[in-house]
Amino acid sequence: MSTATETHTPVPVRTPVLLRRPKKTTGFWSWFTTVDHKKIGILYACTALIFFVVGGLEALLIRLQLAQPNGNVLTASQYNQLFTMHGTTMVFLLGMPLSVAFANYLVPLMIGARDVAFPRLNAFGYFGFVLGGMFLYSSFLLGGAPNGGWFGYTPLTSTPISLGALPGRGPDFWTIGLIIVGIASTTGAINIIVTALNMRAPGMTLMRIPVFVWMMLVTAFLTLFALPIITVALIMVFFDRNFGTAFFLPTKGGDPLLYQHLFWLFGHPEVYILILPGMGVVSEVLPVFSRKPLFGYPVVVFSGIAIGFLGWGVWAHHMFTTGLGPVAISAFSLSTMLIAIPTGVKIFNWLATVYKGAVRLTTAMYFALGFIAMFTIGGLSGVSLAIVPADTQQHDSYFVVAHFHYVLFGGLVFGLFSGFYYWYPKVFGRMLNERLGKLNFWTMLVGFNLTFFPMHLLGIYGMPRRTYRYPSGFGWDTLNMIATIGGFLIAVSVLIFIVNAIVSRRRGAIAGPDPWDGRTIEWSIPSPPPEYNFVEIPEIQARDDYWHYKYTEDDDGMLVPLPSGGADNVHNAAVTRLAAAPTHPIHMPSPSFYPLLVAVALPILGYAAVFHSKWYAFVLLPIGALTLAFGVYAWAVEPATADEETH
Amino acid sequence: MSDITLRDDTTPEPAPATEPAPGLLPGELRPHPSPLRYVVIAVVLSAITAAEVSLYYLQGDIPDALIITLLLAFAIMKFGIVASWYMHLRTDRPIFANFFVLGICSAILLYLVVLTSLQIFS
Amino acid sequence: MATIEQAPPPSPPVPPGPPEPAGHPPAGTGTSNTKLAIWLFLSSDCLFFGAFISAYLLYRSRHQTGPTPKDVYSIPFTSVSSFVLLMSSLTMVLALAAIQRGDLRRLRIWLLATALLGSVFIGGQIFEFTEFARKGLSLDTNLFSSTFFVLTGFHGAHVTIGIIWLISLWGLATQGRLRQGDAEKVEVAGLYWHFVDVVWIVIFTVVYLIPAPK
Repeated sequence: MSTATETHTPVPVRTPVLLRRPKKTTGFWSWFTTVDHKKIGILYACTALIFFVVGGLEALLIRLQLAQPNGNVLTASQYNQLFTMHGTTMVFLLGMPLSVAFANYLVPLMIGARDVAFPRLNAFGYFGFVLGGMFLYSSFLLGGAPNGGWFGYTPLTSTPISLGALPGRGPDFWTIGLIIVGIASTTGAINIIVTALNMRAPGMTLMRIPVFVWMMLVTAFLTLFALPIITVALIMVFFDRNFGTAFFLPTKGGDPLLYQHLFWLFGHPEVYILILPGMGVVSEVLPVFSRKPLFGYPVVVFSGIAIGFLGWGVWAHHMFTTGLGPVAISAFSLSTMLIAIPTGVKIFNWLATVYKGAVRLTTAMYFALGFIAMFTIGGLSGVSLAIVPADTQQHDSYFVVAHFHYVLFGGLVFGLFSGFYYWYPKVFGRMLNERLGKLNFWTMLVGFNLTFFPMHLLGIYGMPRRTYRYPSGFGWDTLNMIATIGGFLIAVSVLIFIVNAIVSRRRGAIAGPDPWDGRTIEWSIPSPPPEYNFVEIPEIQARDDYWHYKYTEDDDGMLVPLPSGGADNVHNAAVTRLAAAPTHPIHMPSPSFYPLLVAVALPILGYAAVFHSKWYAFVLLPIGALTLAFGVYAWAVEPATADEETH
Repeated sequence: MSDITLRDDTTPEPAPATEPAPGLLPGELRPHPSPLRYVVIAVVLSAITAAEVSLYYLQGDIPDALIITLLLAFAIMKFGIVASWYMHLRTDRPIFANFFVLGICSAILLYLVVLTSLQIFS
Repeated sequence: MATIEQAPPPSPPVPPGPPEPAGHPPAGTGTSNTKLAIWLFLSSDCLFFGAFISAYLLYRSRHQTGPTPKDVYSIPFTSVSSFVLLMSSLTMVLALAAIQRGDLRRLRIWLLATALLGSVFIGGQIFEFTEFARKGLSLDTNLFSSTFFVLTGFHGAHVTIGIIWLISLWGLATQGRLRQGDAEKVEVAGLYWHFVDVVWIVIFTVVYLIPAPK
């Protein structure tokens, strides 16, 4: 960090020029070398949406296959690959990166920072994610995609390839691909934690940061502690399949239950990794469109932290049917019910925020309210699944599928779509079309409930998960057809959103810095924000600082715009506050090739691992290792900000 | 009913100074031990290691339960000494120790539950 | 890291002394980003090694075919290599003390000594692994061997990365590109190194010394 010299004579330290430092910050190629947290956030979001579409198409194929009894659309093998990749994609390539996209863009803006703590590490995290995702998908061309489920239960996935319990190299791609994505996510989590803790503007104490930042902080801690656990499990599966070990092979004494423990020790915190960002978004949207502060900010924050802690004590509820014994089952059943308390507290806080507010029903607000309703249904079915006898009956049935889609789609996707409509004007300077937005919302709400509500009934009627075909005559036919129709309605809805996003990018109404009369400081700067975010780092006086900059209240508690401009002039006041042209040079981190280079090394090494028995692995291995070494060294000696004279 | 929170006029808690005192790195509260102190600590660590290895050879002479207890106690001591002196958790801001303790405690707690439920202790 | 309020300006020549403080203070934790990040990584790594150690404890005396721990372990040998790794932590802190004093000659010596001790440890591990293989214990022999090799192997990989890191720092120091103001770079590498050492303290006790249940 510090570079004070030891002698009086200046020692000219020239950084050895390994690759010419990229300078461009605009144009197509600048996206490959950017270290700007806002650009990286946009990259994350676009890539995650592409994976959303891909995972959605996989879901549509699954629904087509299941639309009627004895479906003939897919073979069993194709079905296995598709449902595995659907789950893996939606969890690792949509849910986590899309949350990270929001965090990347918004955390620095919300805490008054110019960038994240480690801009190049941030770029590495993005490229690691996208290349890890491409690595996973390349398996379709290289001998079959992963086909053991997104949970990858052993011994099915860990049986050696020679014994061929699962055809193809799918599980090898799955283990290595997830390790690559996991490395990227870990760096991202560290970055967010350090940024949120260390980069706050003066006066931005921890109890003043927006709830969204709090939720991303908790999420980042969960990511940080959950990923090493699954990494170990994945390494063991890979060794079992390829190097003759028997960690999870019961025939040689291994214990498949150890895998389930390790997987769900990761997997349950993962659920909260996916849902907390949605809760954070909603906690920002509801106050703005109710013109009221969030009801009980400290309670919402501590509930989020409580969820983060309790989320570690419930993993075995995924394993109630494995014979854990009565003590463990009772304890995990209780802890699972317990976690409903902080969750319920949050829901009541949100409702109290809206209560008696001056509610504006924008699309963002629609999605936020949809989030509350759908997530509550998912939470309730979760509590019912915590009751062991009910769980034993419904385990591995479509009831569980219905439950977690209500939580993850009804929670995460509705929450993040609310965030799209809310922050799109900040990111692109133009509004998303509200009419299309409402259409987007209603088609999604109806489609979502058509798809997943019947699955509750299907599960109660006994339809098992993960089966590619079912016979007629069990009373499942109509419900499955409804679910398929609903699935296509969701697809239409997502299509409407994509059209809206593309069209509004050019034709949307000009947003201005503060289209929603926002509360948090990201609305005090121009839309889109300049590269350096803030001309002067703001001094934060209060929670919802920007709101208090604009309004005060009179003796009767009525809102009074502050005299800096009067009601319709509030925006101008804000703009003059922070959007003046910088009068002094602002040093921003310079673009760099090396994050991309280091990230490229990972899938090369990944291919070497998957094909370790082939001759070309011995070509790939040194190439990958050299790329990694070169990238890391060059990165380490390259200063974060290029010298002025090189510009 | 008041619809907005009152402006928080209380003086913001002073941000902890980033400027370390002279001779300190950022995040340090007190100076590091002297090299001599480091060497003394190494001697202590070596002594504990010697005790550990001798315990191993006392197997059979004293009950296993006692050996295991003592060995674990010694390991915790060594771990604690290295972490607090060599990793400077004693003299640094507590935030680092808090993170580390969080990681260690969650690891111990979670894996103990896993091992218990897999009946390693019965 | 390099935003205006965080990074110091590209080193103006200053007299020897404490590192120049950064710009105006943010409402942060009063610590440096890098050090916070390495501690977060280390706390995450606790769960990584914890999982491997748990698997070892679960499996070491299960389904025994082939050699058992008692058949292969050589406690005197491992004690010596553990001692070597422990002493490398001492040389590591001495390196840090040296750079903080501005004593760059001793910094180079202690960095190299630490890397050397680490290499001796890795050499010992390689010898141990080949010795085990000679006694008929390889990765796929039984659950004990699988968990043992994977646990100690991943620890060895951590040590190897640490050695490369230290040698890189030593290389920078010999080129005169690691100066008193860069003490934190040594501190961060040291934290990683000590962590690898404390993990071995646990492994040495739990894997080697504690008698396996009959």
